[in-house]
Amino acid sequence: MNKNVSNILKAVSKPGRYSGGEYGQIIKDKSKVKARFAFCFPDTYEIGMSNLGVRILYGVLNREEDVWCERVYDPWLDMQEKMREHHLPLCACESGDPLSEFDMIGFTLQYEMSYTNVLNMLDLAGLPLRQSERDDSMPIVIGGGPCAYNPEPVADFFDLFNIGEGEEMLPELCRLYIQMKEEGRYTKAEYLHEAARSIEGIYVPSLYQVSYNEDGTIKEYTPIYDDIPTTIHKRIIKDMDTAYFPEKVVMPYIETVHDRVMLEVFRGCIRGCRFCQAGMIYRPVREKSPEVLNEQAKCLFEATGYDEISLTSLSISDYTQLEELCNLLLEWTDENMVSLSLPSLRVDSFTKELMDKIATVRSSSLTFAPEAGTQRLRDVINKNVLEEDLLRAVKVAFEAGKNTVKLYFMSGLPTETLDDIAGIAELASHVIDAYYQTPNRNRAKKPQVTISVSCFIPKPFTPFQWEAQDTFDQLAEKQEYLGSKITDKKIRYTHHDAKVSRIEAVLARGDRRLAPALELACKEGFCFDSWDECFDYDRWISVLERTGIDPAFYANRVWGLDEVLPWDIIDCGVSKEFLRKERDRAYAEATTPNCREKCSGCGANKMGGERTCCPKAKN
Amino acid sequence: MLSQSEKLSKLEEKKRILALPELERPRTVRLKFRKVGSLQYISHLDLQRTFMRVLTRACLPVWYTKGFNPHAKLVFSTPLSVGAQSEYEFLDLRIDREMSTEEIMKRLNRELTEELQITEAYLPKSDFSEIAWATYEIEICTEHASEALAEQMTKVLTTAPLLLTKRTKAGEKEIDIVPLIHEIKIRFNENDATIGISATLSATTGEFLNPEMLITALKRECSIMSGDPMKEWYTILRTSVMKADFTRFR
Ligand code: SF4
Repeated sequence: MNKNVSNILKAVSKPGRYSGGEYGQIIKDKSKVKARFAFCFPDTYEIGMSNLGVRILYGVLNREEDVWCERVYDPWLDMQEKMREHHLPLCACESGDPLSEFDMIGFTLQYEMSYTNVLNMLDLAGLPLRQSERDDSMPIVIGGGPCAYNPEPVADFFDLFNIGEGEEMLPELCRLYIQMKEEGRYTKAEYLHEAARSIEGIYVPSLYQVSYNEDGTIKEYTPIYDDIPTTIHKRIIKDMDTAYFPEKVVMPYIETVHDRVMLEVFRGCIRGCRFCQAGMIYRPVREKSPEVLNEQAKCLFEATGYDEISLTSLSISDYTQLEELCNLLLEWTDENMVSLSLPSLRVDSFTKELMDKIATVRSSSLTFAPEAGTQRLRDVINKNVLEEDLLRAVKVAFEAGKNTVKLYFMSGLPTETLDDIAGIAELASHVIDAYYQTPNRNRAKKPQVTISVSCFIPKPFTPFQWEAQDTFDQLAEKQEYLGSKITDKKIRYTHHDAKVSRIEAVLARGDRRLAPALELACKEGFCFDSWDECFDYDRWISVLERTGIDPAFYANRVWGLDEVLPWDIIDCGVSKEFLRKERDRAYAEATTPNCREKCSGCGANKMGGERTCCPKAKN
Repeated sequence: MLSQSEKLSKLEEKKRILALPELERPRTVRLKFRKVGSLQYISHLDLQRTFMRVLTRACLPVWYTKGFNPHAKLVFSTPLSVGAQSEYEFLDLRIDREMSTEEIMKRLNRELTEELQITEAYLPKSDFSEIAWATYEIEICTEHASEALAEQMTKVLTTAPLLLTKRTKAGEKEIDIVPLIHEIKIRFNENDATIGISATLSATTGEFLNPEMLITALKRECSIMSGDPMKEWYTILRTSVMKADFTRFR
């Protein structure tokens, strides 16, 4: 490390975020690699280091001998200030080289509120924000991750997007780059065109023109070449058992958000909650076999020395072989003092047996997500959770000596009335009642129920993608109403900031016309907008106003069912027809069976995949 | 993934170790280690956490506390502040199965980077409370570095009283640091225009003098490091620790 920056590192908080040198980082000989890739996580080191996707893609890229992938995180405010003051560009962790020296820069887009960090990082790197202003000598800027399913608000800043799972796409992009460089025919324009034409799942926004109707809705997307796809189909990894998995992990010295082994058990979710984007875009479900998972868990334990293994997947209790897997793991975890944790448990799967088996289920506080307060509304959103399931689950927990439960809800859901809001308070008090009805409860303690309420945000590729978000006033009114319904001191009530949710809704359904607003936000120093201490609603509104954006057009409008959506250019596997049907069923208060009970024909089976729950697609 | 020549996986190796007879009483092994480069920015707490994982990866027969939440007992010697490097750190570890100190050192170093390496492992005959002094090499690159500045610095650091505020658990207090400096040599290095300081400072628990305090004093008294922070810097390296009689602590 450079001695010059030592003064700066000594003056900032948590310098371990920037000093690098971690065990397990990959160092290559610069002179021998043909493509240098900077993998950027647009948030802090502590959050980025914990991301499983980054761990996987870092390994996948570095498996290519002539590619060197390094990590980059967004420096915290104090560090940014020093960097700007002393004209220090943003650098990669491993080599300490500035981003501008790289061939490719990849951003993972995990949440909309990180968009300002993306621009902030490009700016700190000294690179022009707009892709049209970056010339052939500058790095190719790539986006991926869940937000790339509607990349339009940030389309002008990226050269291309990966739609779907990147394990195969990213190496293919590097190979194409190296090949064109070696053959001496690399220009950025040629490269982008060839990538769009030859690599499935690649979306190059600059190769599509968008026109608008007079009412502001989108008229159409027109490809500027005949040989590029009119719809970009997402890529998936078909067989999770043979999919690349990182045997080595870069070990952070400083404490990060998830200091534990993360074992990805399956991708996708069989449930189909109607507000949930992850439940749609990761379809179809593809499982790993318990034997494979057990070997991977052993390998990761040996490589990291972590004392906890977390089974990470969307709804872990839906894994068909959870019991087998836990048994295999428990054969060696206990004696090595490794604990298992199962986040994302559903109430209907929460049993005494499970609790006895899994230490962390025993010790940690309990969290369930009924999402809505009445059965009617739970049916609307297709959250197939019954009140009696919830009460049974909490009783199991109370009997085992627990006294605290955390419940997650969403407010502002389509068709929601004040009765549904009152239902949240009632459900919470039923949980309190259940405590006192449990004979073997811990009599020394009082029960405590925390209800945490977030705001509904209509997301692309969900049955609710056309719905309006409640206005800010409506959300605030509902929050207040709920507060007034909670009189019991044993119930704690917290809610998300409706202001953040509103901006998130604008970005989630945004189109290319948001680019000037994001550009202005970056110019005015916006970053870390998912952090309370940084988010400033009034400044956001001012930025939107000054760039002629009406937030209500994106957030609070009911979108037409026949309207061209900004994300129609992308095929996430699930058909628009299915989403529309699901929307109708929501209004009819009809639930849809989960994928294992019955296939509802969402269309994702056409993607294929091993150990899925889908029927074979007819070709 | 394979450890040792026997090609056992680490989990198998752990099993093998667990099957060994237990020592009558846990044995303390002292590790001397280096913490330099990027590791200087890692706090004591983070270092502790790191070692916990390293011990697991290295498949050492670590003795764990009994009870509800078993954990390894690690005892570190003299504190080292963030931003200071060291060639002379100690860590006492307890094992409950037979393993040679050479083997322990070899296994640990496989799981560590160059900047954090075990340089010695042995069975200790002394106690950390015997540590009285620590020596440091400090290098300062500052504008207007000169022979004269070096002399001025020597004067400042040897003329009592030199009062500085020390932050302690009980709050802030003023202390005179001169009596805590046993020896100090300050020289001007002509070839790279830096100032080098060799210092022996008190390192007892009650009267520990953080070498950063010297920098603080020099900043105040000689206005060093007030120019462009991109051109000025300083490094601190702990080079040894000693007992009260100035023999090396081991
Ligand atoms: S095709 Fe059927 S089973 Fe497969 S994800 Fe879609 S609805 Fe579920």
